[in-house]
Amino acid sequence: MTFNLIFMSTTKDFIVEQLKEQITNFKTSLKEQTVGRVIEIGDGIARIEGISEVMMSEMLEFFPSVKAAEDKKAASGSVYGLALNLEEDRVGAIILGDYLGIKQGDEVKCLNKILQVPTGNGIIGRVVNPLGEPLDGKGEIQADKFYPVEKIAPGVITRESVRQSVQTGIKVIDAIIPIGRGQRELIIGDRQIGKSAIAIDAIINQKDQNMKCIYVAIGQKESKVAGLVAKLEQSGAMDYTTVVLAGASDPASLLYIAPYAGCAMAEYFLDKGEDVLIVYDDLSKHAVAYREISLLLKRPPGREAYPGDVFYLHSRLLERACKLSQEFGGGSITALPIIETQAGDMSAYIPTNVISITDGQIYLMPELFYQGSRPAVDVGLSVSRVGSSAQTKAMKKVAGKMKLEAAQFRELAAFTQFGSELDKDTKAKLERGKRLQEIFKQGQYSPVCAANQILVFFALINGLVDDVPVEKISDFETGLYKYAAMFGAKALKEITDKKDLSEKLEAEMKGLIQDYKNSLDY
Amino acid sequence: MKITVKQFALSLYEAIDGKTSSQAKVVIEKFVELLAEKNQLAKANKIIEEFIKLWNNKHGIVQAEVASANELNEETVKLLKNYIAKLYNAKQVIISEKIDKKLLGGVIIKYEDKVVDGSLKARLVELKNKMIK
Repeated sequence: MTFNLIFMSTTKDFIVEQLKEQITNFKTSLKEQTVGRVIEIGDGIARIEGISEVMMSEMLEFFPSVKAAEDKKAASGSVYGLALNLEEDRVGAIILGDYLGIKQGDEVKCLNKILQVPTGNGIIGRVVNPLGEPLDGKGEIQADKFYPVEKIAPGVITRESVRQSVQTGIKVIDAIIPIGRGQRELIIGDRQIGKSAIAIDAIINQKDQNMKCIYVAIGQKESKVAGLVAKLEQSGAMDYTTVVLAGASDPASLLYIAPYAGCAMAEYFLDKGEDVLIVYDDLSKHAVAYREISLLLKRPPGREAYPGDVFYLHSRLLERACKLSQEFGGGSITALPIIETQAGDMSAYIPTNVISITDGQIYLMPELFYQGSRPAVDVGLSVSRVGSSAQTKAMKKVAGKMKLEAAQFRELAAFTQFGSELDKDTKAKLERGKRLQEIFKQGQYSPVCAANQILVFFALINGLVDDVPVEKISDFETGLYKYAAMFGAKALKEITDKKDLSEKLEAEMKGLIQDYKNSLDY
Repeated sequence: MKITVKQFALSLYEAIDGKTSSQAKVVIEKFVELLAEKNQLAKANKIIEEFIKLWNNKHGIVQAEVASANELNEETVKLLKNYIAKLYNAKQVIISEKIDKKLLGGVIIKYEDKVVDGSLKARLVELKNKMIK
């Protein structure tokens, strides 16, 4: 008891001592600050008088007047803003957060810094808003550094061509539309046909692939994002993933900065020479948010009421995806932007813009989706302009033939709809094509590793599945993976390590598949 | 084209600058006539405001607002005037004083959109923020 008392008194003394020390060491310096006054406020936009030396996209601090703040529960503090329009005698700014407390005549301070977000290893596994504030209730973000939200993309000198692949774990993508590290591949399609699902599967498959992932949700339903985070946690993907969330109920200003903030967080890892996969889900909502801001700031509207710089809006964002050369750290940012089309209209303004910016697109077709071939990737319309150079030799060997088979099948399928008599050769090609289509079907959250993919594609192009009934293909496939894991582990390992198919290995694979087929009863 | 308040004030200043007061009177009369002709008389107050700003700027006059917790004595006001004159390279400093008990101590100097906050209250807030960290 007495010991306790002594202990307490010493801690008290210690605290007092510390306080005294802090206060005596406390030094302040007078600083001149530039302030302004709000002259107009509404719809998340403020017009400000004064602040004559404000920079473009400088952070501003609003001080909601006490009375208005008292009504609300958040009486605590200031709200940040971003100067976007510098006019002759006033400044147009967007307010990042709750603008209801701010009223005419309130004071605004310049913070003398461009908008920046916290980043570092502390953000991994977290759900944050575009300002880097936590939304998951797991406490403060331990930031190593602050990165500016807007940054000029790396130049030509620092870059290198894409040469390493991103394994998405989705068979049709890894084979036909391969994505390389540092590439920008657009995922485009109507609502509700599995655009996000592809991106999420790609994130889940990055486990042990030496990748950091950032998922930027722009204008998404928060319930959807909550479900998604739970799914990522369950599959262990949150160990290397950050979710940046600007929900449907957040103001347009947050939606507008969300992808840039996500990219700034990714650039921290890029500068450390790491590889990052970033998903922007989706950029059509981002364009709509920017349109809202621009119209409120009274910038003149253009086509579809989007402002004139809507192309630059996305091009400057996607240019920041890159592959740096070894001298500059060798890191990469791979971007998977998502665009939602209206009734398959790819020639609308935003889709054509983003298609022209990216290095290819994955086009999802509603018809395919409703026929049940999911992921509903349209192999004919989808392209990847740089990814094929990043494919492994082994994958190239099998995928090259598959591309040909797929193209032939499409052509023949359209032709034979008229129901004429077919010769033997054509029939065989059609049968092969049906099996190919069947193999491309894949459930959600079930990525397939590269070695297994190569094995099953190898079986197909060598005609080893021609005698398997089409309905049985998916059973055959899952069975083959299991069989290979048990009896062909050596061959699988060789595929993964050597990344090439030697003649000996091919013979071994053939034998393995034949053995497996012998164990089947169909 | 619309003529802004600033443009009106600037042209008035240029017309008046370097003239004697009798000459200036004529100019002002003409200026008011011009305003009436252009239907801009409603803006007269704003133009005057802008003109004063311009005049002060050109003649090195600084009109600063000083807020303090207690009334300042002459000695302090003189020191403040010298300080402000140095800060903004002014030839003449006009101070309007304001009492605000909430500041606790020290002064806040305001000039156009610049603020130098030397109040005790701000120091305490700063100390608080530092200690929370």
